[in-house]
Amino acid sequence: MAQANTTQPSYPTREEVDFVIVGSGAAGGVMAKELSVAGFSVVVLEQGPHLKAADFKHDEWGYDVNHDLTWGARKGHPQTFRKTVNDEAETRESVLGYAHNVGGSSVHFSGNFWRFRPIDFIEASVRGPIAGTNFADWPITYDDLEPYYTKVDWEVGVSGLAGPWDPPRSRDYPCPPLPVKSSDVLLERAAKQLGYTPYPAPVAILSQPHNGRPGCIHCGFCNGYGCEVNAKSSSMASMIPLALASGNCELRTGCTVSRVNTDESGRANEVLYWEEDGTEHAQRAKAVVLCANGAETPRLLLASASSQHPDGLANSSGVVGTNLMFNGYSTAVGLFDEPVNAYKSVPATRVMHDFYELDPSLGFYGGGGIDARHFSAGKPMEMALSGGILGGPSWGSEYKRNLEKEFTHTAAFDGHTTSLPLATNTVTLDPNVQDKWGRPAMRTTYKDHPDDIATMKFFYDKTMELLDVAGATKSAGFYAENGQEGNVHLLGTCRMGNDPSSSVVDKFNRSHDVENLFMVDGSSLVTSGRGQPTMTIMALAFRAADNIIQSARRGEI
Amino acid sequence: MEEQQFSRRAFLRSATGTARNSIILLSLPAILVSCERSQQAQMNNEEFSVLSEEEAQEFLAIAARIVPTDETPGATEAGVIYFIDNVLADDREAEHEILRQGMRELQVAGVRNFNASYFHELEPEQQDQLLREIEESPFFGTMRFLTIAGMFSLPEYGGNRDKIGYQLIGFEDRHAWQPPYGSYDADYAERGE
Repeated sequence: MAQANTTQPSYPTREEVDFVIVGSGAAGGVMAKELSVAGFSVVVLEQGPHLKAADFKHDEWGYDVNHDLTWGARKGHPQTFRKTVNDEAETRESVLGYAHNVGGSSVHFSGNFWRFRPIDFIEASVRGPIAGTNFADWPITYDDLEPYYTKVDWEVGVSGLAGPWDPPRSRDYPCPPLPVKSSDVLLERAAKQLGYTPYPAPVAILSQPHNGRPGCIHCGFCNGYGCEVNAKSSSMASMIPLALASGNCELRTGCTVSRVNTDESGRANEVLYWEEDGTEHAQRAKAVVLCANGAETPRLLLASASSQHPDGLANSSGVVGTNLMFNGYSTAVGLFDEPVNAYKSVPATRVMHDFYELDPSLGFYGGGGIDARHFSAGKPMEMALSGGILGGPSWGSEYKRNLEKEFTHTAAFDGHTTSLPLATNTVTLDPNVQDKWGRPAMRTTYKDHPDDIATMKFFYDKTMELLDVAGATKSAGFYAENGQEGNVHLLGTCRMGNDPSSSVVDKFNRSHDVENLFMVDGSSLVTSGRGQPTMTIMALAFRAADNIIQSARRGEI
Repeated sequence: MEEQQFSRRAFLRSATGTARNSIILLSLPAILVSCERSQQAQMNNEEFSVLSEEEAQEFLAIAARIVPTDETPGATEAGVIYFIDNVLADDREAEHEILRQGMRELQVAGVRNFNASYFHELEPEQQDQLLREIEESPFFGTMRFLTIAGMFSLPEYGGNRDKIGYQLIGFEDRHAWQPPYGSYDADYAERGE
C-alpha cells in the first residue's frame, strides 16, 4: 500500500476540476483511484469521516445499536417505508442501510466476494420473461466484465481457490482461501453427503500479505465492523490511499451533496454540497460521477430536478429510483455437540452454489448460494438477545445456562438469493418527512415478488435439511415469509441498458440524457445476482473508469 | 432433531430485530460521556445520574431475574444498573417515564398478589411470577433489552464489569486467533480432508 500523501491538492471550488465523484464507497473508491492515477484532477465528496484501522473497535453497542457507522433517524437522517403506494409511509430509524464514512459499506461489510456468473447477465433470455416484472438481460456479458473482476481480485485483494466450481477466470486468485472454520466443515460434510459441491468461499479479506497490506488475524469482527489491521479489502484500505498518493485527488469529508446543477446545454457543471457546519459550496467540474449507492444516487438525481429536467436529472425515462432490488435471505441455526466457535475468523470459508439456478419446474424463478456463519455474526449481545430461539426460555437461570452453548456450539447455514426488478419497488422523495438538512427524506416503497419469497423458502428448507444431515441436535430458522422491509444491498435504481426509454445509464455507466454524468454503484445492476453484489459493483467501476479515461482523453466527455 | 421455525414475534426478539419490542430503540450519542461520569459515581458510591434510589433498586431486582446470580455471576455483578442509568441519562426522559410507569404497575401487582410494596422485597419465585405475567409488554421487553445490552456491551458503557458477560458465554475478547477454531476444523485438519 502506498503511503497516504499528506499534500493533497486543494482545488478552488469555482474552477473546474476534471471530475467530481460523489461518494467514496466500493465504487467511488475505485473511481477515485483510477481517475486520479490516470492524471485527472478529482474531488471526492464524502458525507462521513475518514475513519481508519486504528479507529475501529469491537464495539457492538456503538455500531449495531448506536449506528455509529450507518447513521439513522436519531442522527438526523430519517427514512420512511411503505409496502405499496396505497400505504401510508411510516418513519423508521433505518430502512436502507449504508455506511457514512470513507470506503462506505465496503468498510463494514462481510467481505463475501462471489463474482456473478455468466448466467446472471443473460438470464432473462435463457429463462424467458417473467410477467409483471422488469427482468431483463444486461447490455454486457460476463466476458465483458471478466477482465475487471480479475482487476478487483488483484488490485483490491481477494482470497479464494480457483476450480471447476468457480466462474471462468483469466488469472488465479492472488491469495489462497482462508483456513476452514468448524461451521464450514459441518456445511461441507453435509453438502458432500447429499452430493453437492461446496468450495472455498471467495472473500475480500487477505489470507496473506498482498499489496503492502497484512493478512487476516482472524479476530472475527468483520460483519458490521471496520477491520483493525486493514486485511479487509475495503476501498478505504485498498483504493483511497492510492488515490491520495497520486497527488491529483482531493478527498473532502463531512460533505453532503444536495444537488447536481446543469448549464444551458444540459450538461452537468457543478455539484452543490454542505460542509458539516452547514456552509454551502458549489464545486465546478467538467464531469460528475455519482457513486453514492443505490439509494442516495437516485435520491440525488430526483432532488436535482430543474426546468430542463422536470422529473429529475437523467430521468427522461422515468426509471430513476425504480426496480429497487435487495437480495433475499434465509437463515437456519443448528446446535452441535462439540465447540464450533464460529465467532472466530471471517464470516464464511465455504460456499455452495448447487442451487444457483433453481429448476424452473418448481414453478417460480430464483436461485442463490448457501454459506455457513455464526448466527449473530459472532456478536455477543445480538446472540444473547436472540437467546431462546432454540427452544428454551428467553430469560432466567436456564436461559443464562443455554447462552454458552448457543454462542460457541452453533452454526448458521444461510441462504442468499435473487430479487426480481419491479417497477413498483422504488426510492422516492418523501413529501412529508425531512432530514436534518431540510431535504425530503428517502422514501422506500418495497414488496418482494412472490417468487422471491418462494426462493427464500426453498433455501430455508434446504438449509434446515443440511443442518439435520450435519448432525444438529436442535435447530431453528427464519426467512422473510411476509417480505422484506429494508436491506443493505441497494440495487437496480438507475439500471444499465441500451434503450434510453427503459434504462438510465448505458453499458459504460454513462447517463443516456446527460453526456458528462455517470452513475456507478449498485444502482446500475440490471439483475440482483445471488446475494453478494460488491464484487460486481467494484468490477463495473473499474470498467466504467477505463472507458471514462479513454473518452476523456479523446475529448469525448 | 428438534426443529422450529421462529414465530414472527420470536424473530423480532432475535437476530436483526433484537430491539423491536424495546422502547429504547437505538442511537445514544452522548452516552460515553455520561458513562465516564457514572463509572466515577460507581466508584465513589455517588448517586445515579437519573435513576432514583427506588428505581435503581427495582430495576436492578428485575435485571437480576433476567440474568440471575446463581453458580455464576449475573446482572448484579456485571453492573447492569449503571449501564441502564447511562442509557436513560442520555436525553431519554420520555422512555424513563415509561419505565417508571411500568415499575409502578409492577408494584401494584406486587401489592395485590403478595401484599408487598416493593418488587425488590419479594421472593425470587414471586418476582418471576409477576414478570411472567408481563413478558410481552414493552416494559419487560425494554428491561430485558437493557439488561442484556448491559451484560454484553463493552465495559466502557458502564456494564459488563470485568467482562463478566463475555465469560458467561465463552467469548474470549481477543484480537487474534489461529486455527483450529473449534472441534470440527481440528478434526478436519487431522484427517487431511
